[in-house]
Amino acid sequence: MGSFKAYFIKENKESIRNHKYLILAVGFIFWALLDPLMLKLLPLILKTSLPVDLASLISNITRDVAFQSLLKNLFQIGTLFVVFSLMGIISNEVNNKNLIFPYSRGLKPAGMVIAKYIHYLITISLFILLAFLTNYFYIIRLFDGGVLSISIVFKSSLLYMLYYAVLLSFLLYLSSLFKKSIVPGIITLVLGYSLSILNQFKNVRSYFPNYLLLKAADIKNIFDSSLVPTVIISFFIIILLVYLSISHMKKIDIA
Amino acid sequence: MIRVVNLKKNYGHLEVLKSISFEVEKGSVFGFIGRNGAGKTTTMNILAGLIKFNDGEIFIKGKEFLKHKQELIKSIGYLPETPAFYNYMNAYEYLNFIIEIIGCNQKNKDKQIAGLLEMVKLTKQAKRFIGGYSRGMKQRLALAVAFLNNPEILFLDEPASALDPEGRMEMLEIIEGLKDNKTTIFLSTHILNDAERVCDKICIIDEGKILLTEDLSRLYEIYMQPIFDIEFEKDPKFDLDLLKNFKWIENIKENGKKISLNVKDINYAKNEILKQLSNLNNTIISYQIRKSTLEDIFIKVVNRNGII
Repeated sequence: MGSFKAYFIKENKESIRNHKYLILAVGFIFWALLDPLMLKLLPLILKTSLPVDLASLISNITRDVAFQSLLKNLFQIGTLFVVFSLMGIISNEVNNKNLIFPYSRGLKPAGMVIAKYIHYLITISLFILLAFLTNYFYIIRLFDGGVLSISIVFKSSLLYMLYYAVLLSFLLYLSSLFKKSIVPGIITLVLGYSLSILNQFKNVRSYFPNYLLLKAADIKNIFDSSLVPTVIISFFIIILLVYLSISHMKKIDIA
Repeated sequence: MIRVVNLKKNYGHLEVLKSISFEVEKGSVFGFIGRNGAGKTTTMNILAGLIKFNDGEIFIKGKEFLKHKQELIKSIGYLPETPAFYNYMNAYEYLNFIIEIIGCNQKNKDKQIAGLLEMVKLTKQAKRFIGGYSRGMKQRLALAVAFLNNPEILFLDEPASALDPEGRMEMLEIIEGLKDNKTTIFLSTHILNDAERVCDKICIIDEGKILLTEDLSRLYEIYMQPIFDIEFEKDPKFDLDLLKNFKWIENIKENGKKISLNVKDINYAKNEILKQLSNLNNTIISYQIRKSTLEDIFIKVVNRNGII
């Protein structure tokens, strides 16, 4: 428990003093603010230069479409922010030899790894929720039509949180394996983006975490039975990767 | 207190530790000396539980280290050669962070931290970010981290390397004080004068092999061989060839116009040396016979590469 508490507090200090919270906040909340404004202003800006029928298509944006637009952008840009700010979550500690003192004074690797994971999971989840709520309150003021409600926003945010929990576990594990932080960053990005292709295949898509993103955008039917295997597999991946990270950090040469 | 038996460590095909064995008694200061790359830091990192080893056994407080690592590590404090901290923390926060990891008494932690900061003279800088510290200040903070919770065993890797002369003297005084407290200290150092001052036992390691492990007093008895220091008016390099031919001269150390002679038979040398020097076409400015220092012994042992 001592190792967990020490590293949870340490991660909190590091995130404040090295502006990680700020970077992640920009990655999520900034887009939540910008996206509805852009959707509202874009048709006005392009009004004169577009054919009438096309301009009317753009201007007929409902609340549902505006929310789905945020989801799409958040996945693309939020993932970049998460990956690039957290890709050295463990490897930087090893490379900078920051673990020598803690290990030599009895640090329990499980406490450290779980503290890092939980800390950033809470951080990302909070920013996702904040981003979704901010976006929702903008949308209901700027757009009309659609079925979007606060409960849909909550449900959708839960699926996004679970998706980022999986992504974070990948980042954590790969960062414990590789010394150069860019390697886990690139691999996680490639995995994150490329697995979305599987959403095109109805037979297999529910067995991959990226299906969570597809269902989060399925506003009229977010929670259904097709999510059961996705949720089970996502939790399985998280537990497995966190366990493997701990196991690797127990064996690794620190000095 | 510490028993190392046939310890081996390889990095790929490179054999860094070649089956080393030694024993450190409780409450003693064990000086671990050797050249750069001899295997000192690797040994320390293994004993501090930071890196794995390929073969051999380690016993600390009579218990097998690998089996009881988590329990034993609590009684060990380690000061690495180049300490690394979280630069965005201040000294107080960092010590607090380590106390949390050790899990020691939270009630007295403020008192303990204040005492340690006082000891390492960082009280005034306690609230400054570590990133702004000099190398010497970081070394002193590292010492405070190693001393947290009064460990029974201390591994000190080049503790004085980044300190100014005053800091170095203070460090030696602290080590001497710990000796009285019955703390077992495993000290690696390049500064042989320091080792000579505080160590009870000396272990010389070279190329991953232990060349010698001996009590300091016994070491002097064995190697108490006087050395002839001679200073010439002119560079004596042409005269050295003549001196090298004498079988009673073991080796000659040159240092500009000065030479130091190790001899095989002191009594014979005392009579012979002045006679031979007077034949040289080089004026002698000074001539003295002195006792061997640890540095002389170290050079002799390392040059012989294990043949004592």
